[in-house]
Amino acid sequence: MPEIKSLYCILIFLIPALTSALILVGGINSVICELLAFLGMAATFGVSILAFSETQTKILIAMNGQFRMDALSGIFGVLVSLIGLIVILYSFEYINQEKERGVLDEGRTRSFYWQTMLFISTMLCVVATNNIIMLWVLIEATTLASAILVAFYWNKEALEAGYKYLMLLTVGISFALFGCVLLYSGAAFHVSGGENPLQITVISAIAKKGLIPPSIVLLSVAFFIVGFGTKAGIAPFHAWLPDAHAEAPSPISVLLSGVMIKVGIYALIRTISMFYSLFSIISLFVVILGLFTMILGVLMLFIQEDIKRFLAYSSVSQIGYIVLGFGLAGIIVGNAPGAKEGTYIAMYGSIFHIINHAIIKSLLFLCAGAVILRTGIRKIEELGGLGKKMPVTSFCFFVASLAISGVPLLNGFMSKFTIFLAGVKIPGMIWTTIIAILCSILTLAAFIHVSYRIFMGPVVGFVEKFEIEEVPLSMWLGMIFLCILCFLFGIYPQIIYPFLNMATNIALQVIKGG
Amino acid sequence: MEAKLISTLSLSLIITSMAIIELRNLRYSAYAYLLQAIVLCSIILVFAKTNPNLYYWVIVAVITKVILIPTFLIRYINKTTDQEIKPLVGYLPSILLALMIMIIFYNLTHTQANFIAATPEATHEPFRTNLAVSFTIFILGLFCILVRRDAIKTVHGLCILENGIHLSLVSLAPTLTETVLIGMVTDVVIAVYLLLYVIHGVYVKFGSTDTFQLKTLKW
Repeated sequence: MPEIKSLYCILIFLIPALTSALILVGGINSVICELLAFLGMAATFGVSILAFSETQTKILIAMNGQFRMDALSGIFGVLVSLIGLIVILYSFEYINQEKERGVLDEGRTRSFYWQTMLFISTMLCVVATNNIIMLWVLIEATTLASAILVAFYWNKEALEAGYKYLMLLTVGISFALFGCVLLYSGAAFHVSGGENPLQITVISAIAKKGLIPPSIVLLSVAFFIVGFGTKAGIAPFHAWLPDAHAEAPSPISVLLSGVMIKVGIYALIRTISMFYSLFSIISLFVVILGLFTMILGVLMLFIQEDIKRFLAYSSVSQIGYIVLGFGLAGIIVGNAPGAKEGTYIAMYGSIFHIINHAIIKSLLFLCAGAVILRTGIRKIEELGGLGKKMPVTSFCFFVASLAISGVPLLNGFMSKFTIFLAGVKIPGMIWTTIIAILCSILTLAAFIHVSYRIFMGPVVGFVEKFEIEEVPLSMWLGMIFLCILCFLFGIYPQIIYPFLNMATNIALQVIKGG
Repeated sequence: MEAKLISTLSLSLIITSMAIIELRNLRYSAYAYLLQAIVLCSIILVFAKTNPNLYYWVIVAVITKVILIPTFLIRYINKTTDQEIKPLVGYLPSILLALMIMIIFYNLTHTQANFIAATPEATHEPFRTNLAVSFTIFILGLFCILVRRDAIKTVHGLCILENGIHLSLVSLAPTLTETVLIGMVTDVVIAVYLLLYVIHGVYVKFGSTDTFQLKTLKW
């Protein structure tokens, strides 16, 4: 594929970064903050769409190859900016309501918007970089940019979550830094003239030639799994995730669960999969890690009392599916019959589920945020009978619940089914499909219980006592849009096939080299 | 001569790490960290004779590790308390455990340097000792984070951990230009500041920096 110089690689993260700076300097009141954030995010979304369409036929590079966007980066770019735009729209009313309740003031409104824009900018920069150290720096930057947002309410729970979030993610990512250092030192002495030993594509080419000592490769991979795996919320490195997702303001929970953890997965795809062909044990280990994450996440659903923690553990479980697909993609690289097909399907399913989970989980957190905003209650058992009072939220929550459980005609089914199929296609891996199906059944049971309890369950006192009404248009507009996507990708998945096919081929190129 | 100097400085990083972890007074721990940062900067300075670009890293490291991080630590210790909360395993067992980890890990990594050395040169002195020290202090930093109950002490652990990585970086590829860039951009100074900022909030709300009190969010 031809490489062309393109400013999109830089604009995609520069626009939200500049918007953040503008809000910090000039956001004198909430209206200006909202306007700037919306304009900045709309422009970012526009650029991400342009970059995405360009990446279907070309590879975009900037600054001498330091920034590089291919079809895989393009998809992630659109995902982050789309969810970012929906979150900004949703935040207008959410933050205003919090101000009316006396939780926030003007100063904190400004903090919220500039930090959110900075957070989005760091995530977009992750997908545009082609430098292994910058990848590390930017993943750490996503943590730093969002840390104060996690502890935003500054109460006991939020501070506890903020401390755990910062400490666990920084320690975790330190492992990834050690991995980067080892890999860099292993590759650096083999670069030919003019090449940069920090560029992922250069390291990948050197690794494929077997020039990096095997012990260094294995040690680096182990460190990457701990480091980027912590960011992705892979068990057992997920301890920060339920606390942070639950205690952050709901729009931030959407970003954390919808897109930030996917950035960790993106880093894993870009780094460890380049060693799949050298050591088959790596992919098997990833598969086991995925299954462990999936099982742990789904079992934890049944003991949750808080709606946001419930959704957070569901994210852990769904990350398990993504990791399973990503691991299966490397199980057999090009020898047994049907292996090629299985590898392709596994990677396709994994990337498809990244997109679907971003859509579904964002929708679920938007709905949960709406419920919490209107009732002030997070405990599942204390909620009930909201279906008639909040029909749009109720409908969207039900759709998302069914989608995440893998019910046919919805997007979650298509991606999960693809991953199941990969397990069947790849010789000796059918047991992974059986476990994954069982986990899906458990997910369905847990979500039906929670959805029924909150929206159709017995009406609790306060619903009758107080006037509870649906959230305003700016909040449910994004929900409806995501809901439509759930149906669209579920009923007509062919619509996204060409783009996913491109992204899958790029990811498979990382595995095979080239 | 230089190799001996580097090895001596490198080994003194282990001693300073032990001091940071085991001193009960957080202020003294911060001073021990300051000393460690000066030693690490000195090591980079010695390597800079062969790669002058490393001087840039020395300048940045002096600003972040020697000036900013200790200043932040002292500032927030002044705002909270300088007496460390008793560690999870008790003071004496903590010293014994840290010593045990230090001896085992140093010996293991020093004798098995071939496993962690990316190049044949890295198995020779002083790189061999440096690599062993870097892995040892990385593990000691992790040990500090895991067994200490005091939130500020865990930040000290994070700083030790990062120094271990930076020592390995300068030891594995001291002659390359990119090493300087990596060293400069991977400093944890912002993470340390934000952690201390949040820990101060914890201290105000909980009345203590004891991480055992952070049990509101379970499961």
